[in-house]
Amino acid sequence: MSAMRTVALRNLRAHKVRLALTLISVLLGTAFVAGSFVFTDTLKHSFDNIFATSDKGVDARVQARHDYDPGVPTNLIATIGAVPGAAVVEPQINGPVVLVKADGTKVESNGAPSVGGLWATRSVNPIPSFVTGHAPRTDHQVVVNDGAATKHGMHTGDQVKVVVSNSSVVDATISGIYRSSVNTGGYIGALFTRGEAMRLFTDGRHVTAVDVAAAPGVSEQTLTDRIAKILPGGLQAKTGTQVRDAETADISSALSFVNYILLGFGIVALLVGTFIIYNTFAMIVAQRQRELALLRAIGAGRKQVRRSVVFESGVIGIVGSALGLAGGIGLAYGLHALLDSFDLGLPSGGMVLSTRTILITLILGTAVTLLAGLAPARRAARIAPVAAMREEFSSPSASGLRRRTAIGVVVAAASVAATVAGVISDKAGAAASFTGLGLVTACVAAMLLSPVLARWVIVPLGRIVGRPFGTVGQLARTNAIRNPRRTAATAFALTLGLILVAGIAVVGASIKGSLGNIIDNTVQADYIVTTNNQLYVPTPAVAAVRTVPGVATTTALHDLNVSINGKHDTGTAVDGPLAGSIALDMQHGAADITGHNLVISKKLADSRHWAVGDTLRMSAPGRGTVTEHVAGVYADNQLAGPYLTGGHVWRQLTPRNELTSFVVLVQAKPGTDLATLRSGLEKATNDYYVVTVQDREQFKGQTAAQVNGLIALLYGLLGLAIVIAILGIINTLALSVVERRREIGMLRAVGMQRKQVRRTIYLESLLISVFGAVLGLVLGLTFGSLFTRTLRNAGLNQLSVPWGQALLFLGLAAVVGVLAALWPGVRASRTPPLEAISAA
Amino acid sequence: MTRSETITGFRSSTAAASAVDVVKSYGSGSTAVRALDHVSVDLNRGEFTAIMGPSGSGKSTLMHCLAGLDTVTSGSVAIGDVELRGLSDKKMTALRRDRIGFVFQSFNLVPTLTALENITLPIAIAGRRPDREWLATVIDTLGLRDRLGHRPSELSGGQQQRVAVGRALASRPEIIFGDEPTGNLDSRSSGEVMGILRQSVDQLGQTVVIVTHDPRAASWADRVLFLTDGRIVDELRSPTADSVLDRMKRLETRS
Ligand SMILES: Nc1ncnc2c1ncn2[C@@H]1O[C@H](COP(=O)(O)OP(=O)(O)O)[C@@H](O)[C@H]1O
Ligand SMILES: [Mg+2]
Repeated sequence: MSAMRTVALRNLRAHKVRLALTLISVLLGTAFVAGSFVFTDTLKHSFDNIFATSDKGVDARVQARHDYDPGVPTNLIATIGAVPGAAVVEPQINGPVVLVKADGTKVESNGAPSVGGLWATRSVNPIPSFVTGHAPRTDHQVVVNDGAATKHGMHTGDQVKVVVSNSSVVDATISGIYRSSVNTGGYIGALFTRGEAMRLFTDGRHVTAVDVAAAPGVSEQTLTDRIAKILPGGLQAKTGTQVRDAETADISSALSFVNYILLGFGIVALLVGTFIIYNTFAMIVAQRQRELALLRAIGAGRKQVRRSVVFESGVIGIVGSALGLAGGIGLAYGLHALLDSFDLGLPSGGMVLSTRTILITLILGTAVTLLAGLAPARRAARIAPVAAMREEFSSPSASGLRRRTAIGVVVAAASVAATVAGVISDKAGAAASFTGLGLVTACVAAMLLSPVLARWVIVPLGRIVGRPFGTVGQLARTNAIRNPRRTAATAFALTLGLILVAGIAVVGASIKGSLGNIIDNTVQADYIVTTNNQLYVPTPAVAAVRTVPGVATTTALHDLNVSINGKHDTGTAVDGPLAGSIALDMQHGAADITGHNLVISKKLADSRHWAVGDTLRMSAPGRGTVTEHVAGVYADNQLAGPYLTGGHVWRQLTPRNELTSFVVLVQAKPGTDLATLRSGLEKATNDYYVVTVQDREQFKGQTAAQVNGLIALLYGLLGLAIVIAILGIINTLALSVVERRREIGMLRAVGMQRKQVRRTIYLESLLISVFGAVLGLVLGLTFGSLFTRTLRNAGLNQLSVPWGQALLFLGLAAVVGVLAALWPGVRASRTPPLEAISAA
Repeated sequence: MTRSETITGFRSSTAAASAVDVVKSYGSGSTAVRALDHVSVDLNRGEFTAIMGPSGSGKSTLMHCLAGLDTVTSGSVAIGDVELRGLSDKKMTALRRDRIGFVFQSFNLVPTLTALENITLPIAIAGRRPDREWLATVIDTLGLRDRLGHRPSELSGGQQQRVAVGRALASRPEIIFGDEPTGNLDSRSSGEVMGILRQSVDQLGQTVVIVTHDPRAASWADRVLFLTDGRIVDELRSPTADSVLDRMKRLETRS
């Protein structure tokens, strides 16, 4: 055995290039797995740290049971403070804010919160110290956190404008820059006096929450229990530990999404890498047939031969995943740095490498490599000792391929069955599950059948593409299908990548198309006034829009948070006419929200068993009840939401600080010049900084931009698949070139120019990659369309197949093929013609 | 023509290929091997030459140098009137393609191409169309008309070698080189291949040079050159298997 081990290790060392390429493919896969864990662990750790410091002093917190309820009444603060054992009481007031510097530039972060609030004079936590200046003393002073001040160039003494949703723009002077304990990248904090904070961010009667610190000797549980006893219904008290745990849990679940995405990349990379590893070992075994046969002839047992190949793959697996682990840390670091540069609000902190990450990475990487090496190892063990004496070796038997194809056909049939079940299934969940099953089985079937499919695709394709190249083209084509298993395994890296990419592309395009459709069918306004950040359209801006000359009507839409017949339902309140601004597809009744009428969606009508004529009681805590009648039921519409009702309901049931509009639809008077109207609207809203005026096409564009995250993910996947595919193609071609050295030498001897040798390899590679891409695109587009179909009731009612993009991917695959062939091609062309005769 | 004239001879217009004072060394310093030691030879047009000699005597090296597959250390080599020294790889490749035919010991054919495609390979590589009439003549000479659509793996060793000869003949080269073309064949197939080469010289006016170990194969030639230690030491005209064997024995006892 130790002799066999020596042979195995020598063999690994003898093929450095092959070794490097195989290692890289293991490395890439495991790096993504490791990177995903390191990245999320690191973020979680940093966030945990922040909560541990920022809410350290909280022993009890009082807040509303539901976050749509207004909060804690101000008159309760003193009562809470009087509870025995309460040492410090600190009201929490906060809300979104946008600061505008004196020169008119907005202080904006990309993803990190921009939050306004109260500068606490007494706090459960240590009061922050000042870098410069002092606490706000008058209503027109504000303090800003040090991170934002440095990043955006704000200094003590600077004038700023403060923009909030439900008030006019306020002028303020920066009275100080404080040291924030929340040091997440890009975070913006603007703190005011209590009076000003109440005016800007509350309804004047409630605060967001009340934090309490316990007196010495009073446990947080005791304190919380005592406070809970005096609270009216709708409010709750939590212990500090519960508060911190809940925050940590929130972050964990938010991060788990990120973790899944990165893990997905890792799995894809590993899966794709598996084919490269398999190919490498299959080729190593094929090339070493004679050597292995010789070993068998001199007495090595089958088991020993198999073990030596398995041992080789084990070594590659362990070394590759160890490198992958290191790569993963680098990847996490790079990702963090990249995201940080976008101000997404990530905390900073050292990389966290947990034992779990190390174990998962090493085990997964090694297991996958061993698995991929298993089939070649078994093939190696089957080599007969007599093969050492034979001159030529036959390629893998056709009967093996026949069995593989037969299994492939069975799996393909199962895939079709599952897919059909998905298509005819009515329930969205079941349809998606069946389609998913269909996709997975289709991938397996494609893998099994691809040696046969390779012939079907490459032969005709090769005839067309290779025609201008004559014999070179013919040689490329015949070489590409010479070893169909190998071609299939090589191309499958691209196939897998493109299945994902094409699938996501279809869903993404369909979402964009459907959104565009909804907007086209629903929004009839000439102009749409919105904001493109966390703030709503400031209330005074809505009033300003109404007075612009040329405006016929405005329709402002508001979020409405109320209970209907006792159960909470978020809907939309409308100020202004529906006709001419929002078109609804009425199923029953009329689109009438005047007086005490409302219209509801089909979905809401079905789930609550409401019908035209029903009377609904809408209520909010402490704000009474409004009675409305169902005037109509409309077909589900994402823009309209579950129900639409008149603005008076909203005005009665909504706290003052939430009296905001998320969009204002503007109709022009007949005969008004639209361009003039637009500039009028822009001028009127200019003072509110955060407001944008868009026509319908621009609005569609902005909505479509939200899908771009998905598209970005798509390109990430594509990039990764391409990198791995390139490695795989280089690997396969390099090995093929080595295998065909004598043949290439002979071709050179009988007069093939170097250029022609190179071209043969390029074309061969191009055919292999285009085959992989075609297979991937067909499956990806098919299943992308099918998945879109399963979502048709969730608003994805328009299927858009991005043909242009698909064509682009195909072209990209061809380019990738040629690129990957550059190095092997040059190597092949340098084969000396003597190679054909000598080296028998 | 006397023997000394041929060995030391000047470049005559009747030579299809010639070597003048060729030295070929491998390696350098103390490990240097001189595979060819001042060899001069003319290979005459329309003649069938066999090169013989003990293993390691430089037969293959001589052939490689003559065929433009390898460069010489000193001296000069010409195919027809083209001096090979200083030719670019591109020109050299084109020369091999257009003016030289090859038959190797093994691995002669492209496994993915049919017999016919293999035969026309150098013509196709050059981007030309084969001369139909000539091709028909070659194919008839080979006796492979019913095997043209087969792939090499479906042909016997002898048939494969005949296809290789066909490929060498198809482009009507100035000279055909064969390095032990019958080395892997049984005596019957060997005889067939030599017969075809002989026929190509007699009926088609081809020039053929082969390296061989086998006195029976050498006996098909017009002229046999004997190589020992990188030098041409002897020559035989109109050889028979017996006279070749006899000469070989004498060389061996002498060295
Ligand atoms: N590529 C090479 N490198 C080093 N020595 C070589 C090489 N090719 C041939 N030789 C040496 O040159 C001599 C002649 O070789 P070769 O022409 O192959 O002999 P033959 O074909 O007559 O058996 C031998 O000593 C051989 O070892
Ligand atoms: Mg030799």
